[in-house]
This record gives sequence, C-alpha cells and structure tokens, in this order.
Amino acid sequence: MGTCWCKHKEPDESDTESPPGLDTISLASGEPPPHLCRHIDSRLVDQLVLEMLSLIASFVDKTMSTLIRHCWLRRFSDEESPVPLVKLHVIADKEDGWIQVVSSLVNVIPLEDPLGPSAITIVFDDCPLPSKEAVIKLTKYLRLNKHRALKGPVNVRVERNICVVLGCIAEKLAGPNSVAVLTDDTLDYLITFLTMRREPCVVLFALIALEKFAHTTENKMTIRRRLDKERDNPLLVLELLAENENYLWRQVGFCAKWALDNQFVIEGRKLSYESVDMSGINVLLNTRDVSEYLKISCNGLEARCDSYSFESVRCTFQVDAGCWYYECTVMTPGVMQIGWATKNSHFLNHEGYGIGDDLFSLSYDGCRKLIWHKAKPTTVRNMPEWQPGDVLGCLIDIERKEAIFSINGQRMRPCKEIFETTQFGFFAAASFMAFQQCRFNFGHEQFQFPPTDRPFSTFNEHGDLTDEQKKVVPRRIYLEQLRCASLREDTCTLCFDEPPSCVLEPCMHRGFCSVCTGLLKECPLCRAEILNIRREPT
Amino acid sequence: MAALPRRIIKETQRLMQEPVPGISAVPSETNARYFHVIVTGPEDSPFEGGLFKLELFLPEDYPMSAPKVRFITKIYHPNIDRLGRICLDILKDKWSPALQIRTVLLSIQALLSAPNPDDPLANDVAELWKVNESEAIRNAKEWTRRYAMDN
Repeated sequence: MGTCWCKHKEPDESDTESPPGLDTISLASGEPPPHLCRHIDSRLVDQLVLEMLSLIASFVDKTMSTLIRHCWLRRFSDEESPVPLVKLHVIADKEDGWIQVVSSLVNVIPLEDPLGPSAITIVFDDCPLPSKEAVIKLTKYLRLNKHRALKGPVNVRVERNICVVLGCIAEKLAGPNSVAVLTDDTLDYLITFLTMRREPCVVLFALIALEKFAHTTENKMTIRRRLDKERDNPLLVLELLAENENYLWRQVGFCAKWALDNQFVIEGRKLSYESVDMSGINVLLNTRDVSEYLKISCNGLEARCDSYSFESVRCTFQVDAGCWYYECTVMTPGVMQIGWATKNSHFLNHEGYGIGDDLFSLSYDGCRKLIWHKAKPTTVRNMPEWQPGDVLGCLIDIERKEAIFSINGQRMRPCKEIFETTQFGFFAAASFMAFQQCRFNFGHEQFQFPPTDRPFSTFNEHGDLTDEQKKVVPRRIYLEQLRCASLREDTCTLCFDEPPSCVLEPCMHRGFCSVCTGLLKECPLCRAEILNIRREPT
Repeated sequence: MAALPRRIIKETQRLMQEPVPGISAVPSETNARYFHVIVTGPEDSPFEGGLFKLELFLPEDYPMSAPKVRFITKIYHPNIDRLGRICLDILKDKWSPALQIRTVLLSIQALLSAPNPDDPLANDVAELWKVNESEAIRNAKEWTRRYAMDN
C-alpha cells in the first residue's frame, strides 16, 4: 500500500477510544482498564482485519487446503504470508500493538460471517505468540470478569468474538502460560455465560474456550473444581439440550455432553456411551476411521469439529453394488463436504484436504454450493445456501454409475465422473471446517426425502455391528488403551509392524520389511544408494 | 488416517519409559500425532535456564517424511526464525526414517548449544551473530530471560 500507518501523536493528544463493547458495561468494580500506547490508528488496524477477512472469503472456490495450508503448513515451511497478514503481524510484534490487533478482531469480525471465527484463528496463527503479561493486560483492558458476563443486554458479536479469541489464546499458549492467563476473573467471565439465559452463540463459544483451556491439565482441574462449586454444574443442564430443536442450543448441548465425557468428567455420572440406547442402530460413523479432532456423539451419528483443521470421517458400512441412500441434517451453515469416499481417500486434515479433494471421493458443500471431486469444484446453480435444519440427500446408484445429491428433496444433476476410476468400496463420508456440525441418518429413522424414482437400500438394514463395535468410547480412553498395548519386538525397525525380511545391497544393512524398503531411496542408516533389495527368511 | 501406526505407539511408549534428560515430549491427550515438547536451554549456552516450548507433529507419511517441529516460545537464535521455524538439515533433506522423535529433539537441543550463523534462517540475528557475537549472545540471554523463564 505504501502508506505509513504510524500515527505520530502529540504527547498531550490522548486517545479517547474505549475497549470493545465496554461502553455498555458498568464500571462498578475494580480499577480502570490499563492505558494502551497506540502507535497506530485503530481504524487502520480495523481495515487490515477486514481486508484479511475478504482475502479469506476470496478463497471460497478453492479447496479448504488453500485456506488451511496458509495457517498450518506455513508454520513449518518457507512460504510467505499475504500482505494484510504481514502488516498485522508487524503491528502485533509490540505488546500494545498485539492488544490493538486483538481489539480490532473483537470489534469488527461480523457475527453472521461463517468464516469469521476462522479469520480470528488465522490472524492468531500468524502473529507472534503473546507473552502472558500481554494476555493478562488484554483481559484487564477488556475487563473480563463476572460483571461483564452478567450485564443485561450485551453486544453479542463482541462477546462471541472475545470467547473465540480466548479459545485461540488458550490453544496457542497451552502449558504454564495458559494456566497463568486463566485468571479467576477470566474463568468467572466464561463460566458465567454457561446458562440458558444467555444468547446461545455466546454460550457455545464460552464453552469451546473452556474446552481449549482444558487442554492444559492444570486448567482442566481448575475448571472442574470451579464447575463443582456452582450450585448445579451448568454443563449438566446444558447437555440436556443435545436434542434441542433450536440448532444453536443443540450445538451447546452437543459440546456440553462431549466436555462431560471427555474433559470435565463428574464422578457418578455415567459416560454417555455407557448409557445410550443403541438398539436399532446398525451403522455409525467409524471411530477408528476419523481424523484426530472430530467429535462424534455417543450414538455415533452426529459429528462436530471445533478444531482449525479440516476434519473427516467415514461410516462403518461399505457399499459395492446396487443403489443406496442416506440423509444428513446440517446443524450449522458453514463449510462441510459431505458425500462418498473409498478407503483410498486420505484424510489430510492439517493440509486441509478432505472428502471430494481426491480421485476417490465426491462431496457437496452447501455453504459454497459446490460439488467437489478431485479437488475441483462444480458450481450448483438455483440452489440456496444451506441453512441449519436442511437435509442433504446422498444417493449412489452403482449400476447406473451415478451419484445424486439433493437438498430438502430438490435434486442436483447426477455426478458420473467418479465412476470412471472407482466402481466399488464406497462409504458415506464427510469433512468439517471449524465449528460445523451435522447429523446422519443411515436409515435407522424414516427418511425425510427418500428417492421415489428407483428402489434403493439403506445401510441400516444391511449393517451389522457387535455391541463392542457400537461403543463410541472417548478418544482419550482409546488412546490410553493403545499406549498400554504391548508390541512385538521382532519387527521391522521402521514400522514395527511387518517382519524384517529385507537386506539392502550393497551396504548390507538389514532389519527392514518389504513395505518400508519399497519406499526407501537410500539406506536409512548409512544413506548408501540401494541397488538391490534381497529377501531373507525370518 | 486409519488406525495409529505401531511405529508411533512404540516411540511414544519409549519416550514415556525412558525420557530424554532435559527434554519432555508429551503426546496430546486426543491426538497421538501431536506432541507438546519442552526443551531446557543447555548449560553454558545463552539459553541456559530457559524452558522452550515446541510443537511436534508427525505427518501422515511419518517416518518416511520428517516430523514437523517448531518453537512456540520466542527465541533469539540465528537458525530459528520469528515464527519458530527451525533450520536443521535432518528436518529437511537429511531426514532418514531411522531417525526418531528422540533424535530430532536431541539435535534441536544441540543446535541451541552450537548456533550456526553461516546457515541462517533469521537473517538479522545471524548477521549480528557474525559481526558482534557478544552482543548477539547478550540479546539471546535477554530473550531467554524475558520469554523462556517463568519469573
């Protein structure tokens, strides 16, 4: 831009701006918020934040990888950041500048933009990590405390954004600094929001922020103790909303239940998977075939992502022939890619590749109204953007070699291309951007918009799972079990999986299996070129 | 991502059973491929007394490709840039699947003991390190005190 945004102020020219949303808050308690030394006109920071948001929106016809790669991969590679981000970064390099950037995010990110929370996380990913002093100064500057959360009508956008920001900070600073920044006031602020008397989108993000603070074990204990101190644990009230007809409250219910099962476990409360009725459910989302951060409900039919990666899952049932149909009710209006995938489709969640981003999968994203295959989008015309409660129908007719998506019964044109390379081995599958949620019906309930032009089968009629397979065990319990498993010692030294049957020639190093040696270019031990691989009996 | 590869389970078990002195690497409770790492600044280096937080992530094709590692704590070092990215050959073209999380973290700790300004990533830091080493070391100590020490 070439302009200098440094605004040199005369020393006596005081800045009269107040912290975001503070004008509506009674300053009844505590000291005044700390003074910020503003080197830069905050309007310019606001403008940079908005430029940043429109930059993200300009990625809408790209794969999520374009978006997510920017924040995740760049951290480890040498790619450069887009210009508005670099500028924000420079401003945020100073403590007060960082607070200014965060205030702008809180002030200007609109509530209704489905990419808003993601924009906040991207800016955070790129900015230097704040010191704990800077974060504490920020929380004082924003006057985060019980009173702020108890105040009558609040600016929902500002409070929502503050909660998103706190979640980001918690995630970035995981460890001792995350403990230091979760002050009593900040904790009070978040916990006070956990009530049905508040706007559900603020409750939701306050809950998610607590969940992210709880990634640090000491915080988890603190939050658990704090929740116990409440007359009734607010999560026990909120989890009852998991089936609520209001889609925002339903999300709150989902997250509260998940938190109670995974993080803020209460003695005497059965984990949801131990008490849920699974009779009549014969196909689930596969808890062994899912990327790391996706949350799956205890009945295995509803999924949600609160991480910043692009999380994916397949179902437990494979179809190879015939005509099949399932439905998926979206709970959130944002980016999800829902459809079909074979086992050859990889979930590269951190790189942002999901269902529809390779040869072996096909999906529809009703937020951007795009059908995805081979990472290439096809725009669907005459279809409104999906809204919470809309039902996506997914039909696959392997004999006729076509897959047809529909929204609330309104069909799109058939997709045929995927059958050029793939004729069998399909699973229902979906990818989720941050803060998205949907619910699957594989036929255990009546379909809302069943196809009428051809006979079809449902997964649930044909699926068959043992009681053990139907258990949606919390991930931490599953990983604990895995880590305790004893592994054989006489295996390949690279994968610890296969017999070590190969010798590399000419260096003669051994101890590797045929799968691993097939992937090697040089000897892993001495870097000698591999001219021949000799098998030996093991 | 299907089931967790045995290689990762095995390495995790070993890291827990025989931890590396001066280094802690703890897998995330919910993501077995993501490790929270803390490296203590080596003695007789400008980073002595500091606790440096890093993140380590094992990509889909690990161990055929290197772990992704970066510093989260700010550090003044010629081979580590402002985003915490590390210039270390074994994380790039000199990776070998016989290397492990353990060896990678030891190499990073060694890099703290022996900065290499001739192979820089953070250019201004490397420049100062070359022309005025004592000032650079003063800066490194100051950053260590400011960002890597808990009071």
